[in-house]
Amino acid sequence: MKLQLKLALYNTLTKVAIITLMGILILVSINRISVNHMHQRLIQKKNKLVTNLSSTAINDLLTQQKTFTDYNLLKEEYIILKEVKSNHQQKLKQHFSQETREIEGSQEEYQILSAEFNYQGKTYLLELGETMNTVGQLEHTISVFTFFILLAAVVLTLVSDLAFSKFLLAPFYQIIDQKLNKVNDPISFNYEPVKTTTEDFRILDQSISTLMNKITDLFLTEKEFIANVSHELLTPISILNTRLENLLNDEKLSVEGENKIFACLKTLNRLKSIINSLLLISKVENNQYKKPDTIVLKEMISEVYEEMEHRLAMMDLTFTIKLSQSYVFKGNRSLFHTLLMNIVNNAIKYNLPSGSVTIYDTFIGDNYALVIADTGQGMEVNQVSHAFQRFEKFQSEKEDSYGLGLSIVKSIAAFHELELEIDSETGKGTSVTIVFQKK
Amino acid sequence: MNILIVEDEKNLALEIATFLGKEGYTIEHAWKKSSAAEKIFVNTYDFILLDLGLPDGDGFELLHQFKQLKDREDAVIILTARGDVEDRVKGLESGADDYLPKPFSLTELLARMHAIIRRKHKLEMNEVNIHHFILDIKNHKLSFEGQKISLTGKEFEIFNYLVLNKNRVISRINLTEHVWGDILEINSDSNFVDVHVKNLRKKLSVHAPIDWFETVRSIGYRINSTL
Repeated sequence: MKLQLKLALYNTLTKVAIITLMGILILVSINRISVNHMHQRLIQKKNKLVTNLSSTAINDLLTQQKTFTDYNLLKEEYIILKEVKSNHQQKLKQHFSQETREIEGSQEEYQILSAEFNYQGKTYLLELGETMNTVGQLEHTISVFTFFILLAAVVLTLVSDLAFSKFLLAPFYQIIDQKLNKVNDPISFNYEPVKTTTEDFRILDQSISTLMNKITDLFLTEKEFIANVSHELLTPISILNTRLENLLNDEKLSVEGENKIFACLKTLNRLKSIINSLLLISKVENNQYKKPDTIVLKEMISEVYEEMEHRLAMMDLTFTIKLSQSYVFKGNRSLFHTLLMNIVNNAIKYNLPSGSVTIYDTFIGDNYALVIADTGQGMEVNQVSHAFQRFEKFQSEKEDSYGLGLSIVKSIAAFHELELEIDSETGKGTSVTIVFQKK
Repeated sequence: MNILIVEDEKNLALEIATFLGKEGYTIEHAWKKSSAAEKIFVNTYDFILLDLGLPDGDGFELLHQFKQLKDREDAVIILTARGDVEDRVKGLESGADDYLPKPFSLTELLARMHAIIRRKHKLEMNEVNIHHFILDIKNHKLSFEGQKISLTGKEFEIFNYLVLNKNRVISRINLTEHVWGDILEINSDSNFVDVHVKNLRKKLSVHAPIDWFETVRSIGYRINSTL
């Protein structure tokens, strides 16, 4: 979950919790306060009634019936007065209760004060009731009000939090995007700080810049090292190579001498090949190549076929190209050519006489893929997993193999963001799949 | 033809000079950028073989200074062991005629020089006669007593290279590298070039005996013009 969403949700949840708690507190206290007020009012009324009582009034009340009941128009209050048997030793009872009473057919909840009092030697029970309806209404109003406040708070908080955290986190995503995702080449890294007032992001930005500085230094050191190695190793080879060539021109040279010199040249060539292969891998991994070319896969494969035609003929191999798509991508032409040449060359070199090499395309998921399959000797499972390692040679009887071909393929593939898969079965053949990333 | 070798590696310069000297070229050396500049400003050369990493400066600077001079047609071939990917492009863009990474074979250097001579001076030496086979180098055509012989591009390239370096044994590796370029490990398996040579021989022998097209056992081939 995004930090932005998490923050917004957290804020919303805490606000909801606080408002709900407040609402419940208010409701509970409103109930208490109202009941308290009612009690006070009821006591006041009772006192007023008792003080204003006159015997005639009571008589009037009680002559008509044994119990006197009265209520106001809306049945919000009622009063009942009746005579009870007196017991002078007993203390006069007075208590509050909440009960349902039915008055003229309508039931309602009342807060009731039942109080006994003595008047002219007789004991009377006075019951004063006040409806709880008003309290209920108040509670209802407050709940509704709270609910709407809650709803509004949730919506407003969510929206404002999302907007604010988006604004707040914008520099963060900018840093991720510009300083990490879009950086392919540390040399061309943009050190200009991302504009932000958030100290944390500034620290992040600075840390990335420092890191990039270190990486750039390493990169440049490596580049320099490659150049130095290249110069220091290739110059002596160069001298030896030319010297041996000149020796060959000596007319007094015996046939045996000639053969030995050619053997030396061959060894020198091997050394040169290994150095150049290692340098190529290092340069590719050091990002010294660019990807300026539009590569038409079909054309490239035809070119490779033409280059390899004589090798195929020599091994009496059938070469089939079956491409259903016309795939085009951006890359480095000469590097990709080297990649294909190496794979096809392996498919030829480790093939069996009168075998075949097939190049076809397919889709793996949504991704376009090119498969180079041969009917060669194949590899064992543990060999496949080591196939891309430098100087790994399985078919040791091939003296011209230095074990660098697939390492070159691997580094060029990584440079082009291509995935490589090898399927192989001993005796059946090998297929190399190049998976192109979806554009 | 005058050649100036600008190369701080004296041993290498000496070997190049020995080889080209036998080919009839006049050679001068410069070990440093400063001395090379002096020579370039005073004399004109047919070829300047320029190393990039010189003790007192970059070969590119020298190339740049040279290109400021007017009315100069000296061909410049950059010879370098520097590993920079962009050097090749930069070299050719700066006006060098060719770029040969070290280590190179002397026969390859000679082939490149011939190509430049043909291109620059439009000489009449575009046709070469070898045992009555006429190579039209400019148009990549081969004929025998007026009859056209159809060769593939690779076959012509192989024949041309062997004829150019006639009376010299050219190894398979050397030949492969000239025709297919430096594609690393792939070319180590240089026996594949034999297929092309076999086809080429078949096409030539239809017209005349070709004893002069010699196979030097386990090494390579030689065109013998003295037979």
